[in-house]
Amino acid sequence: MQPIYDAAIDGPLTELVVRSTLVAAKEPERTILSAIEKCGFTEDALFAIKLCLEEAMTNAVRHGNRGDDSKRVTVRFAISPRRVVIMVADEGPGFRPEDVPDCTRPENIERPNGRGIMLIRAYMSDVSYNSSGNEVWMMKENEQWRP
Amino acid sequence: MAPLDPPGGTRGLTINVERIGDAAVVTLEGACTMEVSTQIQHCLVGLATEKVPAIIVDMTRLDFIDSTGLGGFVAAHLRGRHHGCTIRIVNPQPSIEEILRLTRLAQLFSIHRDLPEALAAAAKRSD
Repeated sequence: MQPIYDAAIDGPLTELVVRSTLVAAKEPERTILSAIEKCGFTEDALFAIKLCLEEAMTNAVRHGNRGDDSKRVTVRFAISPRRVVIMVADEGPGFRPEDVPDCTRPENIERPNGRGIMLIRAYMSDVSYNSSGNEVWMMKENEQWRP
Repeated sequence: MAPLDPPGGTRGLTINVERIGDAAVVTLEGACTMEVSTQIQHCLVGLATEKVPAIIVDMTRLDFIDSTGLGGFVAAHLRGRHHGCTIRIVNPQPSIEEILRLTRLAQLFSIHRDLPEALAAAAKRSD
């Protein structure tokens, strides 16, 4: 299990498995965002989580599973008023996030691709990958939460 | 920030293209989410391929865009730059302007407050 997820804080994970298409990938997004809206997150946080979910699902479908709709995308999530933890896994061989060029460097600004991973890192509170790189864990803290 | 659409963003994306002088004005409305974001690339790259001198994208009514949609802007920029095509962005919402700033694309594309300002800038460049 990735250290970003702490069962004692986050509670049990819910799992959804969908076909590897961009249309099917909307289902877990709707489920997760509906649940988050009830937990007192700000509009900014909702926007950030939606953006990062879209980026992670797009990466899983397009790059991880390479458009093969016989494959599956697995989403696990735990949502509480304190924070949200989301995992997106594909069935591809994975990748090394450190090999993706930094799209913010001047020599890379004109690259058409590679901004999704950067945006996930920018908008989430914490991000980690499994060792093979086909599983991303994302966590967003609720800045409004008070114990 | 404008409120998000129903969770998952089901409002869809509308793209309208209008010619004003030498410029192609592309109006985006709704949410550019993953299942529709390649439409922006097809539209903008298509205009750049037609050698339109200026592409002005009005984002006033766009409330979401993902990195694939942004990639469409860059692809069109690469296609059009050899014939001097410029791409300008009009009135992005603060959340989208933040994405443009974080990705440094605000350095690649001029951002204008409104359409007349963008049209004037495009006309001045073509003089």
